[in-house]
Amino acid sequence: MSEKNHDRHAAARRTRARTPRDYSKRTSARLLVSLVAPYKALLVAILLSSICDMTGMLYIPTQLSAMVNVAVNSRDMSALMGHGVAMLIAALVGSGGYITSVFLTSRLCAKVGRDLRMRVYEASLALSGSDFNAFGTGSMITRTLSDANVIQQTLLMSILMIFPVPLMCAISIWLAFSTDAVMGWVLLAVTLAIVAISVAAVAKSAPIFTRLQGFIDNMNTRLRESITGVRVIRAFGKEAHERGRLDETFNDFASNAIRVNLVFAVTDSMTFFLMNVVEATIMWVGADRVGAHAMQIGSISALVEYAMLIMMFMMMAQFAILQVPRALACLTRAAQVLDVEPEIADADAPAALAAADGAGDEVARFDHVSLRFSDADEDTLHDISFALRRGQTTAIIGNTGSGKSTIAKMLLRFNDVTGGSLTFGGVDVRRLSQEELRSRIAYVPQKAWLFSGTIAENLRHGDADATDERLWHALDVAQGGFVRELAHGLGTRVAQGGTNFSGGQRQRLAIARALVRRADLYVFDDSFSALDYKTDAALRHALAGELSDAATLIIAQRVSTIHDADQIVVLRDGEVVGLGTHDELMEGCPTYRAIADSQTRGGQTNA
Amino acid sequence: MPSEKNLELDELERLERARDDADGDARPGAPEPAPDEELDVPSDALGTAARLWSAASGQRWRLVVAAVCSVAYVAGSLGATAYSAGLIDHLWANIQASFAAGEPFVVSLDNAGIEILTFLGIWTSAWAAYTVQGLVMASFAERLNLRLRSQIADKLARLPLSYYDAHQPGDTISRATNDLDKISEVLQRGLLQLLMAFAMVGGAIILMSTYDLALTAIFVAFALVAGVVTKLVTSYTLKVAAARQEALGTLTGRVEEAYSGRAVIKAFGCEEASEADIAEAAERLAETSASADFVTNAIAPAIRLLMRLCQVTVGLLAGGMLVMGQISVGVFQAFFQYVMQASEPLTQLSLTVNMLQGALAAAERVFALLDEGEVVPDPERPAALPDPVEGRVAFEHVRFGYAPDRPLMRDVSLVAEPGQKVAIVGATGAGKTTLINLLMRFYEVDGGRVTLDGVDTRELTRSGLRRQFGMVLQDAWLFEGTIADNIAYGKSGATREEVEAAARAAHVDFFVRTLPHGYDTMLSNDAENISQGQRQLLTIARAMLTDPAILILDEATSSVDTRTEQAIVRAMEAIMENRTSFVIAHRLSTIVDADLILVMEKGTIIEQGTHEQLLAAGGAYAELYRSQFA
Repeated sequence: MSEKNHDRHAAARRTRARTPRDYSKRTSARLLVSLVAPYKALLVAILLSSICDMTGMLYIPTQLSAMVNVAVNSRDMSALMGHGVAMLIAALVGSGGYITSVFLTSRLCAKVGRDLRMRVYEASLALSGSDFNAFGTGSMITRTLSDANVIQQTLLMSILMIFPVPLMCAISIWLAFSTDAVMGWVLLAVTLAIVAISVAAVAKSAPIFTRLQGFIDNMNTRLRESITGVRVIRAFGKEAHERGRLDETFNDFASNAIRVNLVFAVTDSMTFFLMNVVEATIMWVGADRVGAHAMQIGSISALVEYAMLIMMFMMMAQFAILQVPRALACLTRAAQVLDVEPEIADADAPAALAAADGAGDEVARFDHVSLRFSDADEDTLHDISFALRRGQTTAIIGNTGSGKSTIAKMLLRFNDVTGGSLTFGGVDVRRLSQEELRSRIAYVPQKAWLFSGTIAENLRHGDADATDERLWHALDVAQGGFVRELAHGLGTRVAQGGTNFSGGQRQRLAIARALVRRADLYVFDDSFSALDYKTDAALRHALAGELSDAATLIIAQRVSTIHDADQIVVLRDGEVVGLGTHDELMEGCPTYRAIADSQTRGGQTNA
Repeated sequence: MPSEKNLELDELERLERARDDADGDARPGAPEPAPDEELDVPSDALGTAARLWSAASGQRWRLVVAAVCSVAYVAGSLGATAYSAGLIDHLWANIQASFAAGEPFVVSLDNAGIEILTFLGIWTSAWAAYTVQGLVMASFAERLNLRLRSQIADKLARLPLSYYDAHQPGDTISRATNDLDKISEVLQRGLLQLLMAFAMVGGAIILMSTYDLALTAIFVAFALVAGVVTKLVTSYTLKVAAARQEALGTLTGRVEEAYSGRAVIKAFGCEEASEADIAEAAERLAETSASADFVTNAIAPAIRLLMRLCQVTVGLLAGGMLVMGQISVGVFQAFFQYVMQASEPLTQLSLTVNMLQGALAAAERVFALLDEGEVVPDPERPAALPDPVEGRVAFEHVRFGYAPDRPLMRDVSLVAEPGQKVAIVGATGAGKTTLINLLMRFYEVDGGRVTLDGVDTRELTRSGLRRQFGMVLQDAWLFEGTIADNIAYGKSGATREEVEAAARAAHVDFFVRTLPHGYDTMLSNDAENISQGQRQLLTIARAMLTDPAILILDEATSSVDTRTEQAIVRAMEAIMENRTSFVIAHRLSTIVDADLILVMEKGTIIEQGTHEQLLAAGGAYAELYRSQFA
């Protein structure tokens, strides 16, 4: 069984374990609190500016009604001016408060978003390969970028649109009570009615809204499928079938979107109607109160205005609340990454390795090593024993899924043994720090991944202090002479992933990057497959002289790549079925002979 | 008040848009973000609008009803405010009269109560118009979109392969999703909002001027300033949004790179450097998004401040007039209402115009997709293939080029006899898939003909032709569904036994059985959860199940190691007995026994023959062979 296979099991198990609802609610709430916690001062400042905003906003109608009252009663021009100035101040304080709160909130949310992205990224670095693959690269990118975006934007919206609602209600009701107790009760009743409508509207629309998100995703997936798979679809004559699938998702989306629109239209309409009734009621009751000398005529319009503002804020809050479930889902996804207990962690007091030259002949040893992924029923590697010695080349060959690459990953501690022991320089790798261990190994991955930047920058990943001569030397050994022919030599730009170089060139650059590092062990994980036979041979010849002081491990598919190796490990289904030189294995190992025969058939019959 | 209602809708829309922008950006696999941030201008606004109008046939009444209702709503709300001026004055007069008589005032039906109810009645009619408009429009845009989407789905089935090869999937997906959403957003609210805004502002100004011209002039002056400010700030908004977009792009690039190169980062101990790299980009994104969020959310309050200053000015002047007895309490308050009713739509006007432009540009892109050229229709009376099909494939003097001015194949002829194995070799980009494209009629020949059992393939229906082929392609396409469904894709109604037999033949049965749900395992997200090699094995099983006359293997086994490849090839050989097959392979060792080897270079066949013939000829093939087996 291949590792990817195990990763997928792990993914399935993990998601199953993490779906219970209350669990995800709790984790996402905890994560949110921990994200916002460092910015308490900002939050307090936002609250204060929001109070300024609300007070200013409500003070304008208050002062306006006071102006009316002055005008109809005392006709005092200077009092009128006084209210005018008060209104001006209220306008400035209110708008100033709002602009300040927007300013602070944008900052706060940007910082929270940034912190979340960094925390997910840092957590990703601590994940083991199978932990990471359980999430998948695509999903990890989503979690780091767009999930954080959704959280950031929803937080922004919540702070600007939900938080002010209680403030708005409290200040309005207080102002109403201070105008007249009866009107205070009227406004309180109105507020409660609006809250009731809002709660009902949110309860009704939230599930439809969440479903709508699912339909949007579906639409994207199916469209992508029918476009990227167009050749297969046409080859199998399934155009009508695909059309049907597309139409189905389009219909689902449309009918759901229409339902959401209808719910919004009805809520909108109900709120509007309520507004009318409230306005008429306030006029009626207000006129009575004016008639009873309890308040003045101008206050009626102020009270109407308070009620309208409460309603408006409540509607904005409804909209913002609908976005919250989506953000909570994003928070849960982020929390899943953050909560993974790294499979591989450094010991509290890591042991130190002896200096490279003082070390013995044996660089690393697999001693009855087994590896079983946490969710598998059987070992991926079983009872593996062999040693990597200084000056020797060890090769590993076997079919896909036989566990070849896993052996390299164990040396780098991307995976830990579950049975037996793996020692490096005589010390169990689990007692070493990952950093120390990896600094002794130069690794050429199966996929020759290069980073965007220059060739020199890429090569210096092997050793940040390497001189240009060292880089050129490494390139020469790695058969990377083509770099000399490039106009900018070592300064040539490399595109992300190295896509501006051919597969073979990328592999040679990746090999050179490893050679720049002075290491005790060089690991070539299937690194010669993109090279033609001539280059492969020349490279192996050059390497032999270069790496005489270190141990070399070559994982390969081609027998021709490895037949000079000092020892060859033949793997089948995670077990060693042969160990020896090429000639010994041709003699005594049927698996090896079968592999060799399958590859040399053409050569032997025609050479 | 209605003014607040408009404000609320606009606020929501803006935030909605901000949200869409924010998450459309970074979702991998989602449509590539359209360049929203620049002003999207349609090239033929009128023509596009006319075409949208005709696409809305059957639904147009909704728009007409909604437009009438919108105008009725505006008239009602302006009328209610005008009525309220008289009402307040009436109330005040009655109250004063009661006070003068020394008795308290109580509202009753014959004492201003009827007027309050009339006021409620006017508002209720405005409400009714608003509600009808809302309900009628709830489905208008989505129905229109559904129709256009359905046309796109139709179109996707008729577009030639050349369209797919020339366009990024994200581009097409974006037209069917983002662009249509933009249209529906505008149709849903924007269009009517624009109408209402114009009616509201115009009506309010006219009504205001009946009370006092000087005060009206002050309002108009403030309104013009607000309009100019909005215009200026909008362009600044676009600039900061573009800066955020760029920062997000940089961060996305770095994160993608870091995740793809994870093993290398860890193996070389570069975690800290990489973290610093990401942190720098994340910081830049935080800065730009803080200012972008600030600017987008601060425009409305800034403009509102302007209108509040207008209110203060008007309040002081009108208050003075009130004190002087030049205007009544009711007029004072009504005037204020107008200022507020007209302010909000005004601040949104220029944003709405931008939105409208963007939607028309989006509609143009959708129509452009619908106008793409289509494949030549199948012949009305297609020729019949012999039953059973023997599988003799011939190219006769075929001429072909992807672009008419750049011919690739000038005169290619070849014959694959029934049951023969034809191998195609050549470097990447040498045109190996071109051959398959012509064989399957994904592309049409420019000259000469391709025949199957002597019948020109153009005389057959495409489905009739393709049914004869089983195909395993380079990128193993699987859809979201169970493994069993994926294997049975080419043969609807296949039994579980047939599916399993095909899987066994493709050496993938064991793997499937190790999955927790076996054949019912759901493949998701472009099947990220299984390896490339396993995906290929599944597509081989899929091809095997259809039991075709001719097989095409397009580098299908290149991600599988040599031994597995051999096993698959053996299985293929067994199933292909008496079937013609075309094999494209990297490794020459698998094709030395082919009956015919085609060597391709620069899009055309440069050599053909058996292995021995080609070696003896000492051409390109011989050299390639020697370099691999040296």
